Amino acid sequence: MIRIAAVGDVHLGEDARGRLRPALEQLGERADVLLLAGDLTRHGTVSEARVVADEFGGLDVPVVAVLGNHDHHDDKPDEVTAVLRDAGLTVLEGQTTTISVDGHTLGVAGVKGFGGGFAGKCGSVFGEPEMKAFIRHTTEIADSLRGALGSLDTDVKVALTHYAPIPDTLRGEPPEIYPFLGSYLLGEAIDDNAPHLAVHGHAHFGVEQGMTPGGVRVRNVAQPIIRSAYTVYCVEPAVVEV
Amino acid sequence: MTAEQYLAARLRQALAEDPRTTELGVRVTVRGDHVLLSGDVASPERRAELEAVIHDVAPELTVLDDVKVVPSEAPVGREEIR
Repeated sequence: MIRIAAVGDVHLGEDARGRLRPALEQLGERADVLLLAGDLTRHGTVSEARVVADEFGGLDVPVVAVLGNHDHHDDKPDEVTAVLRDAGLTVLEGQTTTISVDGHTLGVAGVKGFGGGFAGKCGSVFGEPEMKAFIRHTTEIADSLRGALGSLDTDVKVALTHYAPIPDTLRGEPPEIYPFLGSYLLGEAIDDNAPHLAVHGHAHFGVEQGMTPGGVRVRNVAQPIIRSAYTVYCVEPAVVEV
Repeated sequence: MTAEQYLAARLRQALAEDPRTTELGVRVTVRGDHVLLSGDVASPERRAELEAVIHDVAPELTVLDDVKVVPSEAPVGREEIR
């Protein structure tokens, strides 16, 4: 069994330094990996990234993160990423990472994701340059997620995003803002590869549990949803029939 | 009613864009002379900052603060994904 801890939207800054750390010590007794589903900072500044690095660096399990929209606000995603990587975190944007757990392998493919809306109620690459750029950004990220997931050859596969791949986990948010909370293109990329689990954040008023049209379990781990420092999902690697 | 909707929209925008708050996860409801805030923030300081920003935009409003600081303890259970 692979134990996957996850949390998103911790929105750390100097004023929140150390709030999560007590719950993260000895995380290895409860989990094999910690996934961070973006919005790690408030404004995406390098100084806030250092707080995140101190909070999640040096844990007794590997930490795998994607950035969120807040982590882009100061227009320094590369610098933020570098600070987190220097602290030993793995930061994914279209890449994958593989972790060995008790003879099994866990593969994580991660992207920030973006908005656009859900099937039948979404934007398209049409009209003004701003609109085309908006949806094109989502399309490129979804393609990048599809490629990353497809490249994994591990016993257990997990998709990690900040934005939501399905509308189910947004229930509680105003439907009018769904196009800013996620995109079905992410869900389609996930269903094309059928990972064991898809984890996202971003929607503070949504719900934890949902499922893609293809049957992949989706979990919204935004901290205001899970109401704890992290939550843990246990996935049993497929038994190989001989 | 219409004025209240525009005011609520201005307050929401202020909470999202003011560097003191940058909170997108706080609900803002205007009812007459009162504004109700609800949702979660990451620290006690941020609750106070919400009220400060609201006061700057609409000093005439009384704030009813139902915002919580999100719990940061270790979880109780875990879920088996099948």
